Amino acid sequence: MKKTDENIENWFGNLKKGQPFRVPESYFETFADRLKVRIEEEEQPNKKRSLFIYLKPILMMAASFVLVMLLVSVPIKKFFPSGKGYIAQRQLNTDSIDSASLIPATLISYFSEGQFLSAVSDVKELESDTLSTDNLADYIAANYSEYDIIANN
Amino acid sequence: MESEKQNIIQLRASIMDLNEKELIANLKSDGNKEKAFQVLVKTYQERLYWHIRKIVMNHDDTDDILQNVYIKVWKNVDGFREDSSLFTWLFRIATNESLSHLQKQRRHSIVSMNEISDYLTDSLESDVYFDGDEIQKKLQLAIIQLPEKQRIVFNMKYFDEIKYEEMSEILQTSVGALKASFHFAVKKIEEFLKEERK
Repeated sequence: MKKTDENIENWFGNLKKGQPFRVPESYFETFADRLKVRIEEEEQPNKKRSLFIYLKPILMMAASFVLVMLLVSVPIKKFFPSGKGYIAQRQLNTDSIDSASLIPATLISYFSEGQFLSAVSDVKELESDTLSTDNLADYIAANYSEYDIIANN
Repeated sequence: MESEKQNIIQLRASIMDLNEKELIANLKSDGNKEKAFQVLVKTYQERLYWHIRKIVMNHDDTDDILQNVYIKVWKNVDGFREDSSLFTWLFRIATNESLSHLQKQRRHSIVSMNEISDYLTDSLESDVYFDGDEIQKKLQLAIIQLPEKQRIVFNMKYFDEIKYEEMSEILQTSVGALKASFHFAVKKIEEFLKEERK
């Protein structure tokens, strides 16, 4: 190792051993003051930053909600172009089917034939695709005798 | 005569030790912390600056790192266990901060070891605060080519003339390993300069 030290002394003999670098003017004279300012800055709580930290979870939740809404609404709009109208139409159809099927047979006995037919014809108008006059006649023939009909008139 | 000289050296060392103990005590007390910290900054700022500068080359990076070193000291001085001297502790923080800075550069630019030396060469080439002549520039370029550890050991030994024992405490490496690092560093620099001469 001693040889290495001697070697380097010979090899770098021509070199000035001092620093080849320099610093900006008055750098060391002003360093302590600049450092003091930076330490003071570090020790002061940053209000803007802390406010953001408090709001961060709320902002993230709002952003997630918007994202979920987008993920739901975009495919709906794409696959059901009529959107709300389509759903309303489906709702109407379901309601009309339900109202027809939910007419209780016992209630028919309290109506006159004319009232009954006019009520049924209203439903029929709504559901012309699903219920014909023949279907209705078949239904009455199957469930009520002529006596029942005449007696109630 | 020789023994008298030895006594003076020992006396100086004990005065310094006493001063350092007082300085550490003041750094740890709330009332005197600020004043003691100013003394600490003034005492070591130049040595630490040059130590960092030789690792990262560029003045602006050195300035940032030096400030970070002192901020760490300010925040953590209460936890300083006094197992080592203040000088050793400060140099250890400065070395670690400088190496972390280079690591960040490496991660940031996804570069390998060779490219770190390219980064340092660029820093040196563009450094407006480099005052050296051609030979000194060649030596710096040769030092840049060394692996990180060898570069630090070479700089500490050749420029700062730090004793191996002190260096061992700062870098937490055995004296033998440091001597070997220095030996290999010198060999590599010699080879680099020989190649340059051809």
